[in-house]
Amino acid sequence: MTPPPPPPASVAAMIRPMPAPADSRANRDILAVMGRPTIGYVALLALVVSTVGWALGTFVYQTYVGLGVAGYSHPIFWGVYIVTFVFWVGIAHAGTLISAILYLFRAKWRNAINRSAEAMTVFAVATAGLFPLIHLGRVFKFYWLLPYPNQRALWVNFKSPLLWDVFAISTYATISIVFFYVGLVPDLAIARDRATGWRKVLYSILALGWQGTTKQWKAHNRTVLHLSGLATPLVLSVHSVVSWDFASSIVPGWHATIFAPYFVAGAIFSGFAMVLTVMIPVRRIYGLERYITDYHFENMSRFILLTSLIVGYAYATEYFVAWYSGVEPERTAFWLRAFGSYWISTWIMISCNAFFPQVFWFKRARTHIPTVFVVSVLVNIGMWFERYVIIVGSLSREYNPAVWGQYTPSWVELSILAGSFAWFSMFFLIFLKLFPVIAINEVKELEIHERAHANGGAH
Amino acid sequence: MPTLVGIFDQPGPVAETVRRLRGRGFRELQLYSPAPFPELDDALDERPSRVRWWTLIGGLTGVTAGYAMTIWMSYDWPLVVGGKPYASIPPYTIIAFELTILLGGLATLLGLLAVGKLPRVKADPAYSPRFSAEEFGLVVRCGERDVAEVDALLRAHAAKEVNLVEG
Amino acid sequence: MPEIDRREFLKLVGASAGAAAAAGCSEPVEKLIPYVIQPEEITPGIPVYYASTCQECPAGCGLLVKTREGRPIKLEGNPSHPINRGSLCARGQAAIGRTYHPDRYPGPQRRNQAGQLEPVSWDEAIRLLARKVQEAGPGTWLLSGEPGPTAGRWIDRWLTAVGAGGRVVHEPFAPEAVREATSAVFGVASEPLFDLSDTDLVLDFASDFLEIGPSPVEHGRQLAAARDVAAARGRTARLVSVGPRLSMTASNADEWVSARPGSEGLLALAVARAALDAGAGSPEARQALAGLLEHFAPERVAGQTGVDAATIVRLGRAAARARHAVALPPGVSVTARRAKASAAAVLLLNHLLGAVGRSVRIPPAPAEGRRRPSYRETLALVDAMKSSKVKLLLVADANPLYSLPVASGFAAALEKVPFVVSFASAADETSARAHLILPDHTPLESWGDAAPRLGVRSLLQPTVRPLHDTRAFVDTLLDVGRAMGSEVAAKLPPGSFRNLLEEAWADTDWRTALAGGGVFEGASPAPSLPLTPGATRLEVAEPLLEGDGEWVLLPVTSGLLYDGRGANLPWLQEVPDPVTKVAWQSWAEISHATAGRLGVELGDVLAVETPAGRLEVPAFPRGGIRDDVIGVPIGQGHTVGRYASDAEHGRPDAPRGVNVIQVLPAATDEAGGRAWLAARARVQKTGRFQRVAVVQTSQNQRKRRLGEAVSLAALAAGDAHAPAANGHGEAAAETHGDGHEHELLKPYDAAKDSAPDSPYRWGMAIDLDRCTSCNACVVACYVENNVPVVGETRTLQARQMSWLRLERWVGDGDLEGGRKLPIGAKEAPGAVDVRHTPQLCQHCGAAPCEPVCPVLATYHTPEGLNGMIYNRCVGTRYCSNNCPYKVRRFSYFDYSRENWPGLLSLMLNPDVTVRGQGVMEKCTFCVQRIAAARHTATLEGRTIRDGEVTTACAQACPTQAITFGNLKDEKSRVVQASHDPVRSYHALHELNTRPAITYLAKVKRGVFEEEA
Repeated sequence: MTPPPPPPASVAAMIRPMPAPADSRANRDILAVMGRPTIGYVALLALVVSTVGWALGTFVYQTYVGLGVAGYSHPIFWGVYIVTFVFWVGIAHAGTLISAILYLFRAKWRNAINRSAEAMTVFAVATAGLFPLIHLGRVFKFYWLLPYPNQRALWVNFKSPLLWDVFAISTYATISIVFFYVGLVPDLAIARDRATGWRKVLYSILALGWQGTTKQWKAHNRTVLHLSGLATPLVLSVHSVVSWDFASSIVPGWHATIFAPYFVAGAIFSGFAMVLTVMIPVRRIYGLERYITDYHFENMSRFILLTSLIVGYAYATEYFVAWYSGVEPERTAFWLRAFGSYWISTWIMISCNAFFPQVFWFKRARTHIPTVFVVSVLVNIGMWFERYVIIVGSLSREYNPAVWGQYTPSWVELSILAGSFAWFSMFFLIFLKLFPVIAINEVKELEIHERAHANGGAH
Repeated sequence: MPTLVGIFDQPGPVAETVRRLRGRGFRELQLYSPAPFPELDDALDERPSRVRWWTLIGGLTGVTAGYAMTIWMSYDWPLVVGGKPYASIPPYTIIAFELTILLGGLATLLGLLAVGKLPRVKADPAYSPRFSAEEFGLVVRCGERDVAEVDALLRAHAAKEVNLVEG
Repeated sequence: MPEIDRREFLKLVGASAGAAAAAGCSEPVEKLIPYVIQPEEITPGIPVYYASTCQECPAGCGLLVKTREGRPIKLEGNPSHPINRGSLCARGQAAIGRTYHPDRYPGPQRRNQAGQLEPVSWDEAIRLLARKVQEAGPGTWLLSGEPGPTAGRWIDRWLTAVGAGGRVVHEPFAPEAVREATSAVFGVASEPLFDLSDTDLVLDFASDFLEIGPSPVEHGRQLAAARDVAAARGRTARLVSVGPRLSMTASNADEWVSARPGSEGLLALAVARAALDAGAGSPEARQALAGLLEHFAPERVAGQTGVDAATIVRLGRAAARARHAVALPPGVSVTARRAKASAAAVLLLNHLLGAVGRSVRIPPAPAEGRRRPSYRETLALVDAMKSSKVKLLLVADANPLYSLPVASGFAAALEKVPFVVSFASAADETSARAHLILPDHTPLESWGDAAPRLGVRSLLQPTVRPLHDTRAFVDTLLDVGRAMGSEVAAKLPPGSFRNLLEEAWADTDWRTALAGGGVFEGASPAPSLPLTPGATRLEVAEPLLEGDGEWVLLPVTSGLLYDGRGANLPWLQEVPDPVTKVAWQSWAEISHATAGRLGVELGDVLAVETPAGRLEVPAFPRGGIRDDVIGVPIGQGHTVGRYASDAEHGRPDAPRGVNVIQVLPAATDEAGGRAWLAARARVQKTGRFQRVAVVQTSQNQRKRRLGEAVSLAALAAGDAHAPAANGHGEAAAETHGDGHEHELLKPYDAAKDSAPDSPYRWGMAIDLDRCTSCNACVVACYVENNVPVVGETRTLQARQMSWLRLERWVGDGDLEGGRKLPIGAKEAPGAVDVRHTPQLCQHCGAAPCEPVCPVLATYHTPEGLNGMIYNRCVGTRYCSNNCPYKVRRFSYFDYSRENWPGLLSLMLNPDVTVRGQGVMEKCTFCVQRIAAARHTATLEGRTIRDGEVTTACAQACPTQAITFGNLKDEKSRVVQASHDPVRSYHALHELNTRPAITYLAKVKRGVFEEEA
């Protein structure tokens, strides 16, 4: 400790600039991700951007010529678009779950992944939100779904599940963005303090002049707490509402009370899988092992195992109720789902979602990263097919056997499906280079505490 | 007015120092920390953050707006669909719920900005990038003759260095 | 055909308006400026109706042509016409398209050196033809369909005046065998008229009387009347159908007797013998026939007919028991080499049963000189052509190149004719080979008359100015005659055909006749004629068939395409066959056994080979056809025509489907009539596969009770649970025994009405016991509501747009899983249990489609309609997902742009929106008609009367199966009809959608049983 200075002659004379010691390691490591893009990165970005371009082209073509270019055939009027919509909405659930619910449960291990998960949420919603529009017969009239004052004094039908969707999805998008941004502000301040050039300008604006005073931190904590409190019921409501698009109809295979919890579990399931699918390579490429440890992945694997069990149970329940109801159209719908013309999709769904994740009973599997990665990918595939089976499979075998139908996606639909993945990846790639991929301040919170305990409370 | 900045490594001592300083009647304190720490939350101000009122008001506005809009619109041009009543409360509850969350969340954000005095254009003279690394900064503004005392007190409580900066 | 532009459109409107103004009185007047002078009779927005006569088949139904702003937009039945009484069949409904058809010739054309058709002026063309006729002289022959009496008379006068060889009448489906048989048995060469309205047993010997002949609309109506259970519960008529396959007619029968094709005569005599043994017939009749019937004991005939003796005896006894039994002679598809004898046998059966003079009326033979259709003469003409005796061939209203077998050598013979003139108004195979084309008007543009039967004289009048540069056939002939010089001209009358027609009708009040559509006398008395001495000398035996194939090739007649003339009308292609539900294509019906032996499934292409030729056609396995028969429908396989040929796939010269006529021998019966059933076929699997455009996925309703049936016994007991008599208790129990209980109709409940003060709540009652699935309603709906026709490719994608479809259900169905076959194995000889369910928007009181629409594009009107607002629809298609009946359609493309090519767009109903791209559409209960009726009612300060407004489907229905009206009016017919305690039910009532449509269950009458 430096010796006390002599009584000052003049305080002003003693003023000197504060010395700036070396930066903290967390800052350096994590901000390093945002450094110069590699060739691989640029190539990948180019690929996804061009895919998005192609999909955009096909969409314009579809809008001009008519939805006939998609594979729709009476009576199967919902297809790949709605399937993909539900898929991405599901993906969007992991972020909020990790940020909000685990926050409320004070599960500290979330800190390493919540930032990227929240980012995925935002991007997934941004992807999902497009599909209800893409599937419209007259997309140029999409704004008619909003209750805006108009000359015809004609309002919307709030009894329609689709209207619930409009409100749920837009609310969810807004809240996840707010959540994402609020969490981001302190880290943006960190970036601001270290950036130069245009980044300096950008981060200075985005950081809102954050300084990390205790008053700010206090407000920040409170905000995060409240947002978590709001987002938790929201995240549950969103996929419930989406599930009611189906459950509140009378279609055999849709009209089931179990749908809301079943879909929410499925959403968390697929969301976690997607986080793993994305973060395992990211961690590898940017060497973030110090922050995102195997312990994190193991915990997420546990979650996947849990939700997989729930989903599997839901499948079983569906079939049981269909059989026990004794209602012939229900029974037939489910029988043909498993053994009819859509049996492949059905068995992909069951094996990917209910069987394969069972390996996570074993710690070896949970901690063996390649296994975790493969399973997570399988789960993503399985969950897409789950929605395909539910939507297309049910619509193709309804009450009137005279018009049982058959649906196969057209190249247009597949292009736009591919485009959706590219669209999502595009945002995520940009995010990697623009924002701290890990919530630095939360990491520090842990680190500083640990240090305190390390030098055994020197005070 | 002189401004001293004590630099700390740990939140614990900072809290302790603050308590002492306030005990000695120093009121113009400011505290920068690289991350949120519960032990620091109430060091300067015990009162809970006012953000919660924003949330409450936002949420209440949402739920009222939700029901009001749906019901009014149903009767503004009443149409029968599916043999259901013009205004069906169960489905409208979903709309009301979503609006509750939406306005509640947005209000909370505004609350954060208002309470945290954000956005602000100019940084405090006492602020340093070190505080966005991993060090804590305790800023004390005091009379010239108290400088030595404060300085001593800070050092006594494990401030690894004390700087005198532009006030 | 180019899109029609505004200017052209205005011209046509103006012109046709002028015509319509003039239609009643004088020659069309030239008016090319629309409505500068308002034509009398025309008020924009108000339809004007003109009476006329349908020319689609010889039945001669009366028409009311609905015109708007001078354009015909729909054909409706003439209620005062004795034959169709206001109904009109599918073909009649579709006939509107002929006038606006893109295939029409714009004007006279001649073939130049290069062999291309080039336009030519009428004067030039007439002069050319005049010269040709002069040169050819007696080498001039006319081959035509059967013209109206007046036209026929003048055509003959003209032929003699110009010294032509003569004319031959070619009607492929003409019942020559029956005519010959009648003259052989009763000494009168005329076709007997059958009246089914007062019968209690109809023995149908493969006559296909509900599909093509002799008068389907009339017979449909009469059968329905005779079977009406409400009127005569106990003694409702039974229909027993004999035939090789479960045709549409047989599907409506109570029993199907699966007999060898061509053995109908034998069977008829055997039944007669059984009836005789059971004591049927007057003493004279018994005595007259006893000798003949000696040789036709059921046991002996059983082998040859493939029908076991017990059944024959059973039928015989039933016939003997019946009060008024009638037997219908064999129809086109089973007319074999012994067709005359078969027909005679059936007539003798009628004679024994005492039907002649009561249900069977034999009109006096037509006046001498009136030429009747004759296949023999046709073949003779072909021979003359081959031997180059024909120098000039005039072809009018006939398409011999398509409808004559290749084996007849007509194509080759046509090459030998130096100059061929066609008077076709639209392109067909024959006119495409002509050297000179002088297009005739279409019936809607023409004057003419028809005498479909004794006591019925019917008129045709133009309802629109000719849309193209065409000229009436007879007028063309007269002009040619006049152009041939004064001595010929002297033999010809002055003026036009219209004047000749008026002269011919001088004995009537012309204006009244014109307004009423003709002159209709009551049924003339037809005495029971004695048998001719030779009547019982019949050569009845098994049919003689060419070829050594294993299967009998059965040319199946289609009620839609008729003899092929329907193939270029898009609606008749789009609407699926009533039995197989296949549209736009050809198929080969084979039994499951045959399919098993050949190792083929639905869509596997078969090679069908006869001595006359070979064709390849996809297989359609089903239970309802004999193992020794392969059935291929007549009507497809055209190589000319936008819709008839394969133009849809860019191959306008390639055939669509196959033309089975090409593989038939040019065989004749004993009397020279045409023998359609004349060949055996070898059938092999080609290994190729073709997707068959089956519109109805499955005819197995899986006990979901979309189409219900109750047994007679249940009906008598007044309760659907009653154990049904005559062995069908099980079937009846199945109907309601699967856990559900039969729910009596919930009558309309005012307390639950969302609009209690609205005077109307529109509803419908559909009687499945009357519906014969003739498709009249479907085509009527297409035309009335501007429903787009989508073509084969999109039909294969299940993208049909029909608002109303007919579903064919075989029995209650079973719970078998996803079977590939549209029709399961359930079709079998014996009691027939097929239900035909017209499926359309049920306008549910608690409609599942409404609450799910986010933008309120579909909602419930105060009058109980399930409204659909196209303008508001954004196309989420959720409504369709949630509709359990699946009656909502989605417009995948901008059909308004592509589906009414050329002038076809002129026949769009101006009262109905043409739906844009990307919106849902569905049945509206013809809301435009309701609006019109309300308008009138409001002007007269009253509410709409019952029966004042009806939907297009109900209006067209020959059997009155559909009743439309106001459910709030207790006395309305629809309410009366709906309140049947046993038969009324709601489709899928367990979903509690509270439909506005009440179905009345079909009545299962079962087979006749031996009395104890």
